Amino acid sequence: MGFAKAFGVMVYRQLKRFVKARGRLIMTFVQPLIWIFFFGVGMGSVFSFSNPVAESFIKQMFGGLDYMTYLTTGVVGMTVFLGSFISGITVLWDKQFGFLKETLVAPAPRSAVILGRAFGDTLVVLLQATIIALVAKAVAPSINLLGLPGALLYGFILGMGLTSAGIVISLRMTTPESFQVVMNFVMMPLMFLSGVFYPLDRLPEWAKAIATANPLTYAVDGVRYWLTGVSMHDPLTDLAVLIGISAVFIALAVYEFSKATIE
Amino acid sequence: MSDVVIVEELVKRYGDVEAVRGISFGIRKGEVFGLLGPNGAGKTTTIHVIATLLRPTAGSVLVAGHDVVKEAAEVRKRIGIVFQDPSLDWALTAWENMYIHGLLYGLSGEGLNSRIREVLEFVELWEHANRLVRYFSGGMRRRLEVARALLHSPELLILDEPTIGLDPHTRARIWDYIREVRKREGMTILLTTHYMDEAEELCDRIAIMDHGKIIAEGTADELKSLVGSDVIIARFDRPACFQSGPVKECRELPDGRVEFVVENAAKALPQLFEMAREAGLRIIEVSYRRPTLNEVFLHLTGRELRDAPAEGPRPFAMMGRRR
Ligand SMILES: Nc1ncnc2c1ncn2[C@@H]1O[C@H](COP(=O)(O)OP(=O)(O)OP(=O)(O)O)[C@@H](O)[C@H]1O
Ligand SMILES: [Mg+2]
Repeated sequence: MGFAKAFGVMVYRQLKRFVKARGRLIMTFVQPLIWIFFFGVGMGSVFSFSNPVAESFIKQMFGGLDYMTYLTTGVVGMTVFLGSFISGITVLWDKQFGFLKETLVAPAPRSAVILGRAFGDTLVVLLQATIIALVAKAVAPSINLLGLPGALLYGFILGMGLTSAGIVISLRMTTPESFQVVMNFVMMPLMFLSGVFYPLDRLPEWAKAIATANPLTYAVDGVRYWLTGVSMHDPLTDLAVLIGISAVFIALAVYEFSKATIE
Repeated sequence: MSDVVIVEELVKRYGDVEAVRGISFGIRKGEVFGLLGPNGAGKTTTIHVIATLLRPTAGSVLVAGHDVVKEAAEVRKRIGIVFQDPSLDWALTAWENMYIHGLLYGLSGEGLNSRIREVLEFVELWEHANRLVRYFSGGMRRRLEVARALLHSPELLILDEPTIGLDPHTRARIWDYIREVRKREGMTILLTTHYMDEAEELCDRIAIMDHGKIIAEGTADELKSLVGSDVIIARFDRPACFQSGPVKECRELPDGRVEFVVENAAKALPQLFEMAREAGLRIIEVSYRRPTLNEVFLHLTGRELRDAPAEGPRPFAMMGRRR
């Protein structure tokens, strides 16, 4: 009975909060643009040569793409990765402002509450990803926007998974400082070992191992496939792995939240 | 008619801290039941167990016949709670907070809209419905929380320190709402407080809690009769107790004063002065009161309720997982 209502109302709440939080709104757009701008301008100039031989050598390194196209398609995936994880972490604020208690005493199914929340946050993040993709098209004209819906499907699965991961961490977290630790020691390395900024095939073995277990690797690869036609893996493999990893996080979040007390 | 809430031998331990140490009580349908006790007595812990937010370490709690552990969803449907600490979404408006609550409790449509209006009007916040909660005063937030707890017409309304930190005017207003709700909807109400006047003013029955135990329970009058009629409290130049003449009971308080329980203080005082003079005692201060719940607490514990020592700072309160 109450499942759909509870799911829907949590989507409503997350969207409302997003629209009202101007600061967060602006930051989430600005940050990836900064990445595109500085990384793109800097690295783009390093990798651009007047010599056609060098040029084609570089393109070969990036799977036949020019660096701007390679980078900006990666940043679309990265936006979802960071944005949804941080959304999940905002459960911590609900804990501190007490709103979490309101959801915990409610008769609504806990699974509906937490899934609705993750879904709402993921929608917001996909909106951001769409805007980034449009900006990317402006600086890298070879991007194929017809592939955007396909790319967003990968973004959606990654977003649900990473929001859930953020929720699990905030439910288990005992101090807000642990958020910084996770950001610096987990999220940042994963961001760089995912193929957003550079290809993975020449990395040392340990780095490759991390990249293989990194959901962002598959999301970036899938998004890049849909937006450019170039990818490292079969896009269906990407999809399958991504679904697998996200399903684990989602299941964990539902489990943790249904067991949550205010001890 | 069976009790709306039945608590039996409830124990709750946080690690080494035993916050609730084997309490039992029942709340009858339609009554206002108060848990009165100083900081750290275990009131909030008890309430959180009843509200299904904490798992009891031992003992059992039934709400409207449903076990709070095994049938949590059934219990949740039937209760409305105002927490001691704020629990509103500050980034949303009053109306949005109410709307979300309604859907989480299975309401929707026109019924929900008109009920939101009804309860917001009841707590005199309807004209602020579209303002962000962030800009509300403490009193407005409290009233909004009361309205939210009433929205789904619960069978049991739980109020954890409903007037803590509010000015006297707002306090009186919240008291009015509580009386009104009880009259209009016949709701059963459980409230906790460390204000004696609040307990006395609102509650049909009161359980006095201290250090995780219920040390007395009954109507305000029954509790007061534990003390006797009047209480004289005196300080002499040295501690002394005498138990003759009008004095029914006498004991020294930890702060050096002496408590005399007498039938009628007005008549007993001159006799007491005489007795002190004969014993060669100098009276430094003396006062008498009709017993209040504070005297009851003092009588039962040797401490004053109003200045019972506050507990040290709480650990950063965090959600955890059940184990
Ligand atoms: N989450 C917790 N972890 C550890 N100890 C706790 C926790 N919550 C409460 N306590 C301890 O349990 C005891 C009872 O606390 P509780 O909050 O139930 O008291 P209270 O009667 O509501 O007090 P107050 O008037 O301050 O609200 C206190 O000693 C408190 O320090
Ligand atoms: Mg309390």
